[in-house]
Amino acid sequence: MKRIFANRAAAGAMIVALAATLAACHPVKRSEPLVGPMTLTDPALERGRLLFDRHCYKCHLEGEGGLAPPFNDKPLPKFLMRLQTRVGLGAMPAFSEDQLSDAELDDLLNYIVYLRHHYPKDRNPQAKGG
Amino acid sequence: MSAMRSAAVAAAAAIFTLSGCYNVRPSSGGGEKASATLPRKVDPADVAVPAGYRIEAVATGFTFPTGVAFDASGIPHVVEAGYSYGEVFTTPRLVRVNKDGTTTEVARGSNNGPWTGVAYANGAFYVAEGGQMQGGRILRITPDGKIAPILENLPGQGDHHTNGPAIGPDGAIYFGQGTATNSAVVGEDNLKFGWLKRFPKFHDIPCRDVTLAGVNYETKDVPLAPDLPRTPTGAFVPFGTTTQPGQVIKGQIPCSGAIMKVAPGGGAPELVAWGFRNPFGLAFAPDGQLYATDNGYDDRGSRPVWGTPDVLWRVTPGAWYGWPDYSEGKPINQEFYKVPMKGIPQLVLAKPPGKPPQPVASLGVHSSSNGIDFSRSASFGHVGQAFIAEFGDQAPETGKSLHPVGFRVIRVDVKSGRIEDFVVNRSDKSGPASKIGSAGIERPVGLRFDPSGNALYIVDFGIMLMDKMGPKPQQRTGVLWRVARGGAS
Repeated sequence: MKRIFANRAAAGAMIVALAATLAACHPVKRSEPLVGPMTLTDPALERGRLLFDRHCYKCHLEGEGGLAPPFNDKPLPKFLMRLQTRVGLGAMPAFSEDQLSDAELDDLLNYIVYLRHHYPKDRNPQAKGG
Repeated sequence: MSAMRSAAVAAAAAIFTLSGCYNVRPSSGGGEKASATLPRKVDPADVAVPAGYRIEAVATGFTFPTGVAFDASGIPHVVEAGYSYGEVFTTPRLVRVNKDGTTTEVARGSNNGPWTGVAYANGAFYVAEGGQMQGGRILRITPDGKIAPILENLPGQGDHHTNGPAIGPDGAIYFGQGTATNSAVVGEDNLKFGWLKRFPKFHDIPCRDVTLAGVNYETKDVPLAPDLPRTPTGAFVPFGTTTQPGQVIKGQIPCSGAIMKVAPGGGAPELVAWGFRNPFGLAFAPDGQLYATDNGYDDRGSRPVWGTPDVLWRVTPGAWYGWPDYSEGKPINQEFYKVPMKGIPQLVLAKPPGKPPQPVASLGVHSSSNGIDFSRSASFGHVGQAFIAEFGDQAPETGKSLHPVGFRVIRVDVKSGRIEDFVVNRSDKSGPASKIGSAGIERPVGLRFDPSGNALYIVDFGIMLMDKMGPKPQQRTGVLWRVARGGAS
């Protein structure tokens, strides 16, 4: 009985993870004309934004997707994004520590999480006119 | 099952799904739509600009417009290309845009488009004629419509054309010359473009001597060589010609993939910088520094390259910018630029002729970042920042794209490299209006601030659908937009 429950829990976890990820395969725009300017006061986030523009923007744009998938609406935790960045699974290339130090990757991931939440709380960024 | 194990399973599933997206999902570029509703609907309410700005449509109904310039009275004039990818030939024209939105033809060119841009100086318009049939030219057009070439025989018969122009602080006419091919090797993709059948001996020309590594690429099933199952071809040589290690290709001017300049009265072209792929947009910043947009490699032809962005360059006279072996300052023979499920590109040069600079900004892969200008007006804002028109992807022809790329106007802080959207369609989805079902922007290709600096005019090429057979540009769908300070539009 305990084993059945464990298997169901594993399947459930996988379904939830897949559903969360697959359902997220829908771009969410974060551009200034739609959601307003992003004003950063934290120097670490500003560093992360510039690293993002240098390394990530070309394929993901502002997290809305382009050549590569979007990630603004993916509830991926930082440790998973870190793993993806370092290992480079799928079409995405791996970024070595020579290309992106651990400290830089911390700044970058913090910025990506910030970007994900960058829209006015009283506005739905996906709504027309938003 | 422990919580840790559940998390690991969830993580593995998430990573599998995320990483598998690109290879298993079909392309969904901005032009990949079966048909468009014509006539095109245009409504500024469907376009978003930052708070404090407003956008309006100045004129509509252009056929393949590419550039805008203002005469001595500040009246906007638009060039219509007269040629579009998809092998659609029309008539290149320079038209004046009247206050009521109607247009008056000033001059019409010959069957040698595309006219890719226009600038005004010294009482005349200067137009870059792409040269699809007879080679590129720089034309001087007086306001009464008289056309006189000041430079001819530029290598513009290939994939990319003669671009620009921009008037330099020295008074010279600066222009870009795109390459004949994607990555220096003529192949079946050039046959699809149309020019290889017209000019079977045409190929790229380096500006300086280059020494080849002797790498040849094979193209399959080309009608030009029906007796050969595979046709090997090297870099900087005609289709079907192989190269040897150590072979030197003599440089000459004019050349491919370069920025050159010519005196306003004509004369021999002078090399400014080389090693570009398609330097479409040229502009001088308020401090007199020249910048150029450059379209990155495509995933097409016998030497495809993947994942290379369009870039914004700060142009240093005499420098080599890396084509055909580098992208954004990095050699392309690395995992970063490997086409998924295919091989890593080999370098075709035995030794790079220089160390390529780093770009100011790496823009969207396949965004077709083209026209550029700089804000000079404190009242408009963002003084010294670059505004860039992004035509948008041409997937699937240029390679797969999971989502539309481009189809907007961006601004770039050239000091920090920060990229920010400036004009986008008002929608939860990215892409041209025809894709998302709105009456907003389609394919911004050119832009220029008016002489006061208080309004940004944006040239929207119009609708261009894409499928596996190639581009399907729609005539009479071009629009001239205007962005200025003001309330919500």
